[in-house]
Amino acid sequence: MLTMLWLKGLLAYRSGRLLGAIVGVALTVALLAAIGVFIASSSASMTQRAAADVPVDWQVQLSPGSDANAVADAIGKSTSYTALEQVGYANTAGFTASAGGTLQTTGPGKAVGLSPQYRQHFPTELRLLIGSLDGVLVAQQTASNLHVTVGDTVTIQRIGLPPVKVKVAGVVDLPNADSLFQAVGVPASVAPQAPPDNVLVLPADQWHQVFDPQAAVRPDSVRMQFHVRITRDLPTDPNNAFIYVQQLANNLEARSAGGALVGNNLAARLDSVRKDALYALVLFLFLGLPGAILAILLTMAVAASGTERRRQEQALLRTRGASTAQILRLTALEAVIVGVGGVALGIGLASIAAGMIAAVNLFANATTILWTINASLVGLILAVVAVLYPAWTQARHSTVMAARAVVGRGRKPLWRRIYLDVILLAVAAIVFWRTASTGYQVVLAPEGVPETSVAYETFLAPLCLWVGVALLAMRLCGGGLEHGRHMLATLLRPIARKLSGLVSASLGRQYVRVARGVVLVALAFSFATSTAVFNTTYNAQARVDAELTNGADVAVTGSTAFAPSSMLSQLKALPGAAAVQPMQHRFAYVGNDLQDLYGIDPAHLGEATTMSNSFFAGGDAQATLAALAAHPDGVLVSQETVTNYQLKVGDQINLRLQRVSDHQYHIVMFHFLGVVREFPTAPKDSFLIANTSYVAQQTGSDAAEIVLMRASGNPVDLAVRAQYALGSLPGARVTDIGSTQRLIGSSLTAVDLRGLTGLELTFAILLVAGAMGLILALGLAERRRTFALLAALGAKRTQLGAFLWSEGVVIQVGGGVIGIALGFGIAQMLVTILTGVFDPPPEVLSIPWPYLVLMAAAAIASMIAAVLSTQLASRRPAVEALRDL
Amino acid sequence: MSEMLVRMDNIGRTYSRGKTPVMAVVSATCTVMPGDRIALAGPSGSGKSTLLHLLGGLDRPTSGSVSWPALGARETLRPAKVGLVFQMPSLLAPLTVVENVEIPLLLGQDSTEKARAAALDALDRIGLRSIAEKLPEELSGGQAQRVAVARALASQPKLLLADEPTGQLDHPTGQHLFDVLLASLEGTETALIVATHDRAVAERMNTLWHMQHGILEVHA
Repeated sequence: MLTMLWLKGLLAYRSGRLLGAIVGVALTVALLAAIGVFIASSSASMTQRAAADVPVDWQVQLSPGSDANAVADAIGKSTSYTALEQVGYANTAGFTASAGGTLQTTGPGKAVGLSPQYRQHFPTELRLLIGSLDGVLVAQQTASNLHVTVGDTVTIQRIGLPPVKVKVAGVVDLPNADSLFQAVGVPASVAPQAPPDNVLVLPADQWHQVFDPQAAVRPDSVRMQFHVRITRDLPTDPNNAFIYVQQLANNLEARSAGGALVGNNLAARLDSVRKDALYALVLFLFLGLPGAILAILLTMAVAASGTERRRQEQALLRTRGASTAQILRLTALEAVIVGVGGVALGIGLASIAAGMIAAVNLFANATTILWTINASLVGLILAVVAVLYPAWTQARHSTVMAARAVVGRGRKPLWRRIYLDVILLAVAAIVFWRTASTGYQVVLAPEGVPETSVAYETFLAPLCLWVGVALLAMRLCGGGLEHGRHMLATLLRPIARKLSGLVSASLGRQYVRVARGVVLVALAFSFATSTAVFNTTYNAQARVDAELTNGADVAVTGSTAFAPSSMLSQLKALPGAAAVQPMQHRFAYVGNDLQDLYGIDPAHLGEATTMSNSFFAGGDAQATLAALAAHPDGVLVSQETVTNYQLKVGDQINLRLQRVSDHQYHIVMFHFLGVVREFPTAPKDSFLIANTSYVAQQTGSDAAEIVLMRASGNPVDLAVRAQYALGSLPGARVTDIGSTQRLIGSSLTAVDLRGLTGLELTFAILLVAGAMGLILALGLAERRRTFALLAALGAKRTQLGAFLWSEGVVIQVGGGVIGIALGFGIAQMLVTILTGVFDPPPEVLSIPWPYLVLMAAAAIASMIAAVLSTQLASRRPAVEALRDL
Repeated sequence: MSEMLVRMDNIGRTYSRGKTPVMAVVSATCTVMPGDRIALAGPSGSGKSTLLHLLGGLDRPTSGSVSWPALGARETLRPAKVGLVFQMPSLLAPLTVVENVEIPLLLGQDSTEKARAAALDALDRIGLRSIAEKLPEELSGGQAQRVAVARALASQPKLLLADEPTGQLDHPTGQHLFDVLLASLEGTETALIVATHDRAVAERMNTLWHMQHGILEVHA
């Protein structure tokens, strides 16, 4: 009976407090469930996407003399598969072809034999550029070296046997040449890593006719492989999938008893993704957990806002003879309502958020269901801890006399006396300094080693900073409110006018409550700010990376023979093309090292693409390009080359460039002007930058193999127009920055940071609004008696408003300023600690202005709603309000 | 002749509590003149507090009319012209004694300096100057009610309404509080209406109003 009465009373008269606590629990559950489920789904899709990208899962190389049928049989016993193809590899002494009256000869090359079904089973290994796939195919670079095209004849210089002539049916690109020509069973550091420059692909039958005799005389020059696509029933976690695939391959090698070696491309791919999965976990800890902690703090604060009233209620119950057990039973009822209501609301919220923002389902599989259950349990425990535990301690230790209200002038808490805030900040500084100064890697997943490690201790730096600043803010706010009343009164005068003294005195004596509100709002602001800044900085760096890789908003690439620069006027005339600049892409020998050479117009290239200061060692793009423009034979060289060849600025360098007229390499003199670190479209290691006019003069061709375009509108639209304008220019390829950004291998691309931060940014806004609104509204609701008394004493609405708005503004401004500053600090720390996820690492943080404005607007709207609702409640006649309190 | 402070004609006040309307005051007619000392007696729930609230303009009647000829419109009564002393603790916890006392003055027309001076003066008169900087939690029940009286007197109201001001105090403390209240009003034209159960308090007033089931009886 008493329980039912209590329940009725709770729902009728404590609905605000109940609802606030339910919202806090719901936010905690929703955040944990949504992010946890997202991480689980992301991990699973990471495995699927990684596996989908692998062109050939296994390249099983037959040992000399082993039986191909026996190996094929062993493969079938080790794993189920969906495709199995035998592929022949033969070394050749080279290829020759005659074109335009000259004879072209290449160095040693490879001839590959593929069955007609191969392309259906492994479609990403070959990309037809021109001609037909039925017949002999020549790789793009080989075709360029030999100056052959469809219908021409190429002579294969067999090893130990007479040459054989074949007719070219098509020219192909080999997008996965690295793995296709890998040295199976040889450690990566021992075997040559670069794929062969000259490749011919023959139909399997023809390959056997040409190379079976070579295998007879030089068995070491020919080898056979099985290319296998295994059935993809992999574990969802990338690390487990890696171990599983590795074990299958080990099983095969054991079964074949040395007859076969497995080039495990699938395991290698999963190996690289394991790091991403760990980074996803780390990001959850660094970015997601603070949000959950914040939601928990919010719930505790909401529950604590009813402490005073609960204490009075307990005192009343005890004076009427209620035992501690009875009091706890009644309080447990409140905890159950908060817990069950919060979990139900949280699951609903998580389901909507996860579905809408990250397109994941809470109940997709066992792992996601487990995350949902765990989040619900956290919510229930939180409700018990937030509501029942304080009631239990009060019931055990409070006396009826102690139930009188206490304001200010209490003993300082332990953390203030031992300066815990200062200690935590010192720990944060030390851990951060150690991490930043030693280039510490947070995530370690050594290639090929099943064990992985995450340096969780680095989490201490942002955690200690977060808690340390929160406590320091509590100390400073408390001190400021308690001792700086005159200054506060002056600041509040525009709002409170002549009541400013009373308002500041009132706030000052409630400094603990107000400072707690300020700090909680500050933590919400800092969570939102740090996540948004991290996200924006990551996106900015991804764009920098994409622009570097793609070259510009839109890039057109082609060959010297069919140079896109021949269509320059058409490209310039395209709508949406703000600037168009050609760039030569040739090759030059530095000693024996063949490097990419880019011929540019230094004065105008910057019109079409970004010329960042960080590209050049001097840190001054303008000066470096001006120097290049002033020296026609000048050349910018990568640091690696400078070091290897001991170059000094002004040194003469002799490079060998291919002349168009005779297709032979000739020595050309250059002068070394400076060091270039990165350049649009250039590889990351070694390359050269020179003047386009000088390169054209020395090679006899002004053709530019690349055209860079800056878009005035959407790059995708410009790319489509460019593709159309180029028409049938053979081999021409158009790429835009957006698609490149999606493709490039910055590690977190696989983690899908957008989904993670999308969820977090949404919850962060909710937390900011929730923290601001709930803390203020419940704080004000607990003092309805004060406002009713003021109204009874004659306070007008505007005068009551002075108290309400002042408190709102103090919490809003204090929390906002501290929170945003802390957010930037945390973001800087995270960017430094998680530098491994950025490519290239950022020089400065990017500021997400729209999000910050949205966040501030949400907080202000929440404050206004809280104050207005209190003002609305104070419209009731004062006596009526007093009678009900 | 002084102008009438309050005039009530056939005042009724009905509350809607659940399905049954509660008639707290039924057809009450009365007047209050400057300098009146009125005891409002009656059992609990007889409508004393409601009548006080109607007299002070805190509540509106559901029938009849009430006017304040010497005080003006309802909206101008508080904080300056009508002072209130509540039965329950009514000091604002985060404010000191002197700040509590100066509230009605600051809510009215007074400047901060003038309000502080008047509040200290009120505390002086009531003998509480020494505790001006204390917080309500540091006061005894009697002290807190004396401060509430000081707050009501600080703005020198024309009408002072006290709703069982000694109800939560022991007899000697209650008597002392009442001594202080009457002494403070001595020589002023402020009318005092005290709702009380205490016969001793009622006997010290010159007029007795008695309420029973919402019906007011006026005795000289």
